[in-house]
Amino acid sequence: MKKNVFYVLILLFFTSCSSSGENDSFQSNPNNNDGNPSSDNTPNWLIPVSEVRDGGPGKDGIPSIDNPQFITASEANFINASDLVVGIVDGNEARAYPHQILDWHEIVNDDINGNAVTINYCPLTGTAFGWKSESNGVKTTFGVSGLLYNANLILYDRSTDSNWSQLRLECVNGELISQKPKLLNVVETTWDIWKTLYPNTKVLSLQTGFSRQYSVYPYGDYAVNNARFIFRPSILNNDLPNKERVYGIIDDNKSRAYQFSKFGTGKVIKDTFNNKNYVVAGNQSLIYAFELTGDYINLNFEYDFNSSEGVFFKDDEGNKWDVFGKAIAGPRKGETLTGAKSVVSYWFALAVFYPNPLIYQD
Amino acid sequence: MYPQRFIILIVLLLFLNVNAQTCCSGGIPLSNNIGLPNYEKGTLQVGLSYDYNNLNTLNEGSNTLNDNSRLRITHSVLLNTSYSITDHLSAEGLFTWVSQRRKITQFGNQNLDKTSGVGDAVILMKYNFNKVLGASSSFALGLGAKLPLGSSTKKNNQGITLNADLQPGSNAWDVIYWLSSSKNFDFRPSFTFSTRFTYRGTGTNNTYLENSTYKFGNEFQAFLGFSDEFLLLKTIVNTSISFKYRNAIKDKIDGFDLDNTGGDWVFLIPSFSMALSPNLSFSVKAELPLYSHVDGTQLTPTYRLTTGLLYRIKPRLKLGLINI
Repeated sequence: MKKNVFYVLILLFFTSCSSSGENDSFQSNPNNNDGNPSSDNTPNWLIPVSEVRDGGPGKDGIPSIDNPQFITASEANFINASDLVVGIVDGNEARAYPHQILDWHEIVNDDINGNAVTINYCPLTGTAFGWKSESNGVKTTFGVSGLLYNANLILYDRSTDSNWSQLRLECVNGELISQKPKLLNVVETTWDIWKTLYPNTKVLSLQTGFSRQYSVYPYGDYAVNNARFIFRPSILNNDLPNKERVYGIIDDNKSRAYQFSKFGTGKVIKDTFNNKNYVVAGNQSLIYAFELTGDYINLNFEYDFNSSEGVFFKDDEGNKWDVFGKAIAGPRKGETLTGAKSVVSYWFALAVFYPNPLIYQD
Repeated sequence: MYPQRFIILIVLLLFLNVNAQTCCSGGIPLSNNIGLPNYEKGTLQVGLSYDYNNLNTLNEGSNTLNDNSRLRITHSVLLNTSYSITDHLSAEGLFTWVSQRRKITQFGNQNLDKTSGVGDAVILMKYNFNKVLGASSSFALGLGAKLPLGSSTKKNNQGITLNADLQPGSNAWDVIYWLSSSKNFDFRPSFTFSTRFTYRGTGTNNTYLENSTYKFGNEFQAFLGFSDEFLLLKTIVNTSISFKYRNAIKDKIDGFDLDNTGGDWVFLIPSFSMALSPNLSFSVKAELPLYSHVDGTQLTPTYRLTTGLLYRIKPRLKLGLINI
């Protein structure tokens, strides 16, 4: 009798396990990792695969926001004045994506005036970009691959499953290897600056479709502790503190860094980097640069933050320019300066992706 | 007869494990499964268990979030041996084979990462003090170590090293302190009240991802159990209810706390065992969370199931020593 009881118990146990929530239907997914290195079906990487890290949550373990909801600035009472947001403007539409939501989702696949836009932000390198939601010319969405390179986000596109290094600005693995994303101009600044410049801005809502504690920063003192890394980059550059936020202009594999502290209450400089001319305007909370070509090179600029008019700086021709380089008054009204390929980044990240950045000095 | 049956059952268990893609385990249950009962000098015990640990509950502190997209499973096969060197002193070894799985179900897709292989092992020396707590009582102390036998550098199919949580081993030596006591009472001799405490001081993996260090958080566990025996269908069965408290401090990378690790948990553990023969017993138990308070936001255990067989070989009676 007891033998029968034993076998029944064994059978019941394994029956319970077999209905415990794991099924084999996903085994055919070629992207699943079966723990067998020999079955590598996408072996080519532009970056050293030995330096690619598994972040821990897994692919889509940090879920992108694919159906973003927006509220007005007055309704966004969960954001403090000094909190950082990523802002984008398309025509008359201004949108802000608070860090406190991006920290938990990293990617927002949005649609602004019919234009598919992917806002992506890496909390471990402090870098945000906006780029067209396209892969190989086809509309797509991007997700969090769960992989990191030099502590920086690797996105994947849901059309081809190719992996894109965010700060390298390049597809580094998969069918679209070597392709570049089509960048859009975004700025990163404090909420009070952004809503002053764009009082009619829409703000990404906490109603993301996911259950998260957005009031809590998920990485402890990571953003301010210069000695602390969760994933240590391959090289460190001691010219500035690792976690100092800098504005970087990127050109080819080089970069030029601007410290917020150097801009104080407001400043505009003309600078040359990698044989290109730039005007860099900013204050201690916002910096943005534009490449100067043609007769723009001869203009002399001056900081002129006028929130009621949305003006960021002006020039000696009488033109007034907004933060995205659009002339909103003056003889060149309607013209737009070409935004620099740039990013706000923790110093260490800019320095590891674009080694030995030149640091702007007064 | 009985050894033959034992071998058949082991083969059956192993066969089911190897082929049971449907069964799963996060966290290898080392501290849970050390501490076999003490017997007279020369007694050898061999246990083979299967452990399935399912983590599908996402918590922020003690609040459960409405998100079951992440599933973390650890399957473990545990080989436990104990030999009584004297009537009081025994040596125990726990050896593991583990399969770790991380499955994300999101946006209509499922993504799986998994590793498997020999896991870390534990050796434990125990000393039993009889009747320290009065008649029909036992009290034992143990000191052990966790041996880093398992790989900590398993890669996925793209050659990317998986993170520490998915590795079969930790590449670190841990020290383990163990204390156990039990007491039976005259009003019902088969009723046992027992407690057990384990503390694991973890070592550091100094070659984590080649350029970092990783240290799992120190862990404390306390068990409080009540068990009783009775006859069921002419078979002696033992049922028990235990409460387990577990505290783990945060893991550390390069000496800094890693957010979203560590916490406090209370579990209820109902278990059932029965004697298949005088030397062979079968057991099954579940581990169900009653309370969880995690640091930050992290997956927390949903349930755990463990089943196994324990075979005991007693020393032969030495008649020549009988004093007539």
